Amino acid sequence: MSVVPAPATRKAARQRRTKKGSLLEREPVLAYLFLLPGALILLLFMAYPFGLGLYLSLTDKAVGFPEFDFVGLLNYRYLLQDDIFRKTVVNTFTYSFVTVPFKLFLGLGLALTLNQAFRFSRFLRAGLLLPFIVPTAISSLAWLMLFDSSLSPISWVLRDWGIIDGRINFLGTRFNAMASLCLANIWRGLPFFAISILAGLQAVPQDLNEAAALDGASPWQRFLAVTLPVIRNIALIATLFSIIMTFSDFQLIYVLTKGGPANGTHVFGTYAYDTMSFGALGEAAAIALSMFPMLALFAFILLRYVRAEE
Amino acid sequence: MVGSKAFRHRLLRLYLPLTLYTVFLLFPFLWMLIVSLKPDRLMLDTRINPFFLVSVTLDNYLYLFQETEFVRWIFNTLIVTISATFLSLLCSIPIGYALGRLRFRGGSTLGVGIFLAYLVPPTLLFIPLAQVISRFNLYNEYWSLIFTYPTFLIPFAGWLLMGYFRTIPIELEQAAQVDGATRLQAMWRVVLPLALPGILSAGIFAFTLSWNEFLYALVFMGSGEMKTVPVGVVSDLIRADVYQWGSLMAAGILGSVPVAVAYSFFVDNYISGLTAGATKG
Amino acid sequence: MTDPRISNLIREATTLRYSRRGVLKRASALGLSSAAAATVLNARGLAASPRRAPAFLQDRSITILAGTYFVPSAQDFFDQQVQDWGTQAGVSVTTDYINWPDIQARIAAAVEGGDGPDVVELRETWPYLYYQSMVPMDDVAEPLSEALGGFYPWVTDTVRVDGKWYSVPVGASSAAFAYRISDFEAAGVTDPKNNFPKTWEELFAVGKELKAAGKPIGQALGHSTGDPPGFAYAYMWAYGAMEVEADGTTVAFNQPQFVEGMETFLQAWEDAYDETGLSWDDTANNRAFLSDQISGTINGSSIYLSAQDAKAGQATADYEIIVDPADIWHATLPAGPAGPFVQLGSWSYAAMNYSDQQEAAKEFITWWTSQDHFQPWLEAQKGYIIPMAPGYAELPVYTEDPSLEPYARVAEIARNRGYAGPSNQNAAEASSRYIVVDTFAQAIQSGDAAGAIERGAQQLERVYSR
Repeated sequence: MSVVPAPATRKAARQRRTKKGSLLEREPVLAYLFLLPGALILLLFMAYPFGLGLYLSLTDKAVGFPEFDFVGLLNYRYLLQDDIFRKTVVNTFTYSFVTVPFKLFLGLGLALTLNQAFRFSRFLRAGLLLPFIVPTAISSLAWLMLFDSSLSPISWVLRDWGIIDGRINFLGTRFNAMASLCLANIWRGLPFFAISILAGLQAVPQDLNEAAALDGASPWQRFLAVTLPVIRNIALIATLFSIIMTFSDFQLIYVLTKGGPANGTHVFGTYAYDTMSFGALGEAAAIALSMFPMLALFAFILLRYVRAEE
Repeated sequence: MVGSKAFRHRLLRLYLPLTLYTVFLLFPFLWMLIVSLKPDRLMLDTRINPFFLVSVTLDNYLYLFQETEFVRWIFNTLIVTISATFLSLLCSIPIGYALGRLRFRGGSTLGVGIFLAYLVPPTLLFIPLAQVISRFNLYNEYWSLIFTYPTFLIPFAGWLLMGYFRTIPIELEQAAQVDGATRLQAMWRVVLPLALPGILSAGIFAFTLSWNEFLYALVFMGSGEMKTVPVGVVSDLIRADVYQWGSLMAAGILGSVPVAVAYSFFVDNYISGLTAGATKG
Repeated sequence: MTDPRISNLIREATTLRYSRRGVLKRASALGLSSAAAATVLNARGLAASPRRAPAFLQDRSITILAGTYFVPSAQDFFDQQVQDWGTQAGVSVTTDYINWPDIQARIAAAVEGGDGPDVVELRETWPYLYYQSMVPMDDVAEPLSEALGGFYPWVTDTVRVDGKWYSVPVGASSAAFAYRISDFEAAGVTDPKNNFPKTWEELFAVGKELKAAGKPIGQALGHSTGDPPGFAYAYMWAYGAMEVEADGTTVAFNQPQFVEGMETFLQAWEDAYDETGLSWDDTANNRAFLSDQISGTINGSSIYLSAQDAKAGQATADYEIIVDPADIWHATLPAGPAGPFVQLGSWSYAAMNYSDQQEAAKEFITWWTSQDHFQPWLEAQKGYIIPMAPGYAELPVYTEDPSLEPYARVAEIARNRGYAGPSNQNAAEASSRYIVVDTFAQAIQSGDAAGAIERGAQQLERVYSR
């Protein structure tokens, strides 16, 4: 951080001491300087692919074919008449809006739990983060085994206890498959919320909390009045990222169902990938980008909340 | 009486939820551990309880070290992950500060612009990105991932940090400035230390996301000895329609436990400050 | 170089030093096809821009991209072959073996980025997708075909692109019905080795007995590229339907006979099959079979070969094997009213034209696919890969184990995806969208055979009218 050129700031400081109003005028300089390095990387490595992706979605570009034509919104119009795409939209929304609330509330609960002092806390704090750390490529395979129709240890034990007979068809019907995917997704995503919020909790002023307790405020009232305002932004941002990650999830679904059975679990990511696999890059881009407006809308709403606070 | 009431409180608010969370979050992991210690011949045996280890073997772990390039993959993954995390934090701490604390024209627009980069899924992006990688001559080099991971880490960490900077009362910073500190000094001495939990957690996420990343690693750096752990493991241990369960899960364990340990070391530092006081009181 | 416009354009491009874009512009102005433009680009050395250091600055080295071998010893054998060739040709060679579903992502990125593996193993339907980035191989494939008594039709129809070869066929993993002798005996089949049901309906009748006895037959019908289409296409053809007529546009999917066949299958799904099969991928039926849950399924020879491995391990470790390979037998798929069919597509090896080592890459493919080197490789595969031409079909590796014999025999009744047309982009699309497989899955979920086939036909219309 100390790399930032000193003269400008020293000047700013001098001006501040002399004239209070000019401080605000200097803020933009600092701000742009601060944004520069990150923006540079994004510009170099992101702007072109992003723009190209956008452009490709308006063309009939195929993988490996250098020539292609501009076709306007044809790809998008084609998607509107595609029942698999319609299923994909429904699936993606179901997948996201079932899992994100669970992850948020369970994650908040876990953060509050872990924020207390207890024996072995260090051990558990590390352990409970594991779902997020184990490479998804591998943990998905563990779930594949847990959900396997012949090998599932869950089925085995329940059968042994006489609770079920036969084997649970975890991934074989649309409902079951979606429920199983949601479970695995919640498992993987919950620690993310817990850790973000746990870090946010460290900024909760303890004296305020204690004072409120002395005034006879119930734990719930204290949570609403003292804790929540502090972690609100973090929780919102974590929610936003989680929505985006869940919307564009790929790996878990690709390993467990690849969008089956009968397209019952296709989401944008898997459908775009399958489309790309027969070369239709333009169309795959259109699929992937068709979630862009929806995500942008969520982002817009949530970010408004975050920034509106001042 | 008082003691038992306090205990009931603690039971309800700590031990019970903690147990439930532990069971849910660690159950699949426990399963991975069991599978990694199981001899191959028992993997498909449904005659005995699959949770029982009637015999234990370390073969699955040994296989990773003797028959695959696992050590090299760990090395590759560490290089890429640490560099990408470092680079991303370096860029996103100032971004988070600027977005969270400074007022400037076009701030919201720029912030959202940086954020938009996060909205395009990698399943699409990897193809145009492949052109960029090859244009910069980075194919199958560490740099290919060190520079591409920040494209999703910077927006992510930047916005997360903005959130954390916002949790710190602005009065503290103003007070420092009133005392004669420059804005940079106030940021360096007051805001950053207070935001350390947030910076650490952003760092942990950045680290984990890079550690887990699969598609870019497969496509940009998947050749020869340059594989990362997820890519190498999946490529070498899945043979057509047969999985080598034991070694796959062993790789999962070895690829995550060290990170978890490192994490607990970091996290304890920031939480202990608070809870130490609480237990004394 | 039959078209004079092409040679003119090459001359023009050379004298005027056209850029890549310039060539493409002129080519389209002249009304040349994209393939012709690619020829010009190749001739001008503009095919794709190899962005590595110029060849003289580095040693010759190539990278090969292939799917991870099912038979580990065959993978070692290939590595050895590659090293032998490398030493002899003065080229250092790296081979990347990766998980099958990941191969295409690598190829797509390499083709679009212009950097990546120099030699690529292609699976069925891919030559049509990527031929513009592949080095022409007519001079290798044609003589090879002649020497081996002509490639099988399903090989030609999956690898040759519009009458031209851009990659050299190497055969494929095959499909047959793997079943348990003891179970079939218990279900009333006398001498199951020689009396496997001849028709699907007979198989379903046996399956009913098997399911009643607690060990149904199984069929993977999830989204997966091997076994689910292996069944769905074969059954569709057996009941007289196909994706398209030979003209490549007339969809011939919605046939009364197929609707009847589908109704028969729906009944059988309840009576004879393990109903969790809707979720199965290529790996799940292996697990179900080898964990003694089902008595038969369509598969490559991997189930049998895994069981053999387990038995070999038993000799040293002294444990009880679950499924004895001696109890596993194979049969070609049963017939329907239209006959018995198997869905097969050949794999092939291509040299990529973005590479700056095209000659070395092509040299390697030529060397490796020549009989002296290819035959030992096929033998190392233990029969898992069946050959691309009758010339290899009589190798002992295909006949010495009577249990595996059907795998090589299916080559005679095989059809490619997209039949009666070639495995072109449309066939690739139909297959990536799992239209045929999902017709079965949809029918099972809705119980409406006619409706599912109707919908499948509509989707195929959409694809094949492109």
